[in-house]
Amino acid sequence: MNLLEGIRVLEIADGLTDFGGRMLSEMGADVVSVSVSGSRPEADIAIHHGKTRINADSRDAIVALARQADIVLDGQRLGDKFGLAEALSGNPETIHVLVTPFSSEGPYARRPATDLTLFALSGLMHVTGDPQSPPLKFPGRQAYVLTGIQAATAALLALYARRATGHGQQASLSAFQSATLANYREAVMYEWTGRIGRRQGNMLVRGKSGVRQIWPCKDGHVTWSMIDNPSMMRALVSVMADQGCSGELSDIDWDNTLVADTPQETIERWQAIVGAFFAENTRQQLGAWSLEKGWGLSVIAEPRDVRESEHLKVRGLFVPVTDEQTGKVINLPGPMFHCDAMDGSERVLKAPIPASQFEGWGGR
Amino acid sequence: MGALDGLKIADFSWVGAGPRATKDLADNGATVIKIESHKRLDLGRRSPPFAGDPSDVDGSAFFAQTNTSKKSVTINLGDRRGVEIAKKLVGWADVVVENFGPGFMERIGLDYAALKAIKSDIILASVSVAGKTGPMAGFRGYGNSAAAHSGHAALTGYPNSDPHMPPLAYGDVVAPMFLTVAILGALEFRSRTGQGQHLDVSQIEPMVQVIGDLYAQDNPLKNGNDDPAFLVHGVFPTFGEDQWIAIAVETDVQARALESALGIAADQLSPAAIASATATFDKFALFDRLSAVGVPAGPVLDGREIKDNAELIAAGHFQNPDHAILGKANMPAPPYRLSRTPWSVGPSPLLGANNREVFVEMLGLDGSEIESLIAEGTLA
Repeated sequence: MNLLEGIRVLEIADGLTDFGGRMLSEMGADVVSVSVSGSRPEADIAIHHGKTRINADSRDAIVALARQADIVLDGQRLGDKFGLAEALSGNPETIHVLVTPFSSEGPYARRPATDLTLFALSGLMHVTGDPQSPPLKFPGRQAYVLTGIQAATAALLALYARRATGHGQQASLSAFQSATLANYREAVMYEWTGRIGRRQGNMLVRGKSGVRQIWPCKDGHVTWSMIDNPSMMRALVSVMADQGCSGELSDIDWDNTLVADTPQETIERWQAIVGAFFAENTRQQLGAWSLEKGWGLSVIAEPRDVRESEHLKVRGLFVPVTDEQTGKVINLPGPMFHCDAMDGSERVLKAPIPASQFEGWGGR
Repeated sequence: MGALDGLKIADFSWVGAGPRATKDLADNGATVIKIESHKRLDLGRRSPPFAGDPSDVDGSAFFAQTNTSKKSVTINLGDRRGVEIAKKLVGWADVVVENFGPGFMERIGLDYAALKAIKSDIILASVSVAGKTGPMAGFRGYGNSAAAHSGHAALTGYPNSDPHMPPLAYGDVVAPMFLTVAILGALEFRSRTGQGQHLDVSQIEPMVQVIGDLYAQDNPLKNGNDDPAFLVHGVFPTFGEDQWIAIAVETDVQARALESALGIAADQLSPAAIASATATFDKFALFDRLSAVGVPAGPVLDGREIKDNAELIAAGHFQNPDHAILGKANMPAPPYRLSRTPWSVGPSPLLGANNREVFVEMLGLDGSEIESLIAEGTLA
């Protein structure tokens, strides 16, 4: 049995809601998804598998489904297509999550938006990328994903409240706010220090100096930073000494050295010694040393490494998903988290059917 | 009333990955009791920026933003008598939240089996870098380990560029959002079955999930700011130093509107032509102009522009509860408005501020005994 077994969800999928429906589906809800923004074949299987997919051939059919649903995730990125707020006025038990790019009455109300433009507004883009290059987005469509997570959250909060009161309600959700909420640093740093964050590339800037975060090694990259952690520095330098390549690092009293206050040229000299050591060793060797000795280093996993990760295999993260129309099977991320009441979603991307022909929910 | 009025949370979590989830619950009306200790201070209380003295455990704005609407008690879990009182909080709670290192909850006798013995339908919500099972269980990571292990770093940036790390501890942002959803799902399950759950949220898996659409490709590639499904998808310079606007064109109608708004000749909509045209505009003026003709655009905002943004202010994105040290500072609010059960963002608690209220008035423990335990360092 699944956490949300028997909960009916109608999702108006326009990008903003899609990941929220995916989360609820993964937790066992019965999700019917209406696509209004056109299909993205390369991504649909990741976002929409496990859902019943329908085409909006009939507004009446969509309205009828909304009235049978416990939760309606109503994506309105491209406007209000079905007038569900009015249609649900006689259904006080329904939870109607109305998702728009911006607040419905604020100065940006009804402006058009996409994942990219929302991500730009979030403040995350301004600090991502190299200083000499334009601002950079995160991979994928994460302003949409962050909005979808909040849509699922709002729906489940209202479900909890419905258990207590018997009443559904409307939740209105702003995608701009959802994306901006993920940016916990920049506004608060400005508020209290007057400093405006800038793009630092892969440098981690603390105090007066900056340290590297990404290092090439023999067969790829690792991430590690020379931060003020004396035991970590001693652990690294001791292995480097064993390998005969610690140079002047062996002579440094790390307990009485504040890296954040060390002149940048000294840090560059120290980092060059570390960099030469990393470059001579493989990701596997460096990762193993880090685990054993406590360096705080992580191997940068390429997508194929993530798919083949022994750890993630044991955890069952990637699951085979079949595209019903093509028969193609792809390994994709499945469970969102682990618990006993998690039998897993149906691992099929179903072919869309006309809304007018969908009879899965029957009457209610 | 808030959506979660009456819900009771014993929150043993610290820094970011747990506390951001319990903030969601507390803002929505749950009673969240944060179990802290002077002897093992939440590192969030040591995280900048500070309102004044960095050594003041109540002066971190980072901590305040992450822990709105909660109560704080101090319990030294290294003391057996402290653990016994923590168990009374478990008996009171519906949900226990933790993000301790491996084995800690077991060592102090608060693992899931022990919690269930105290309260049979308890929900234990755990969040860690790699999860509770598998060969990497117990992996101790730093801020961005999950970005490395998920493919997120490898897939950020331009084709053939080095991996790129997120500019903040993003795993500490995404994982607690999944934790909130997991807890709410488990509460729905409990209300139907009477059963609790042990929820095991890792940071790596949510970081894979948020780029799950890229894993749908046989060979996921990084594209910088590009998206081949769009006619225009990029970030373009505007007037001023380091000023930019993102523009995304999905349809031919939008493409014609963009040409017209920027004064670009028909069918000459190249990135270079767009950049040349946008460079003469103020980014906010251009945002207004493009929005008015239906072209999706967004100025690239910095920290100051987020804080002062009229749309965010109008939407109530920042709330200003009165905090004894920080005053009426900005605290982020939930991004949704619930029509019947609105949230309410209260101040974060001072360390141990609710000791007497929780131990004596709520748990019914003897007042003088509590005073002795505080003096002896058990409740400290």
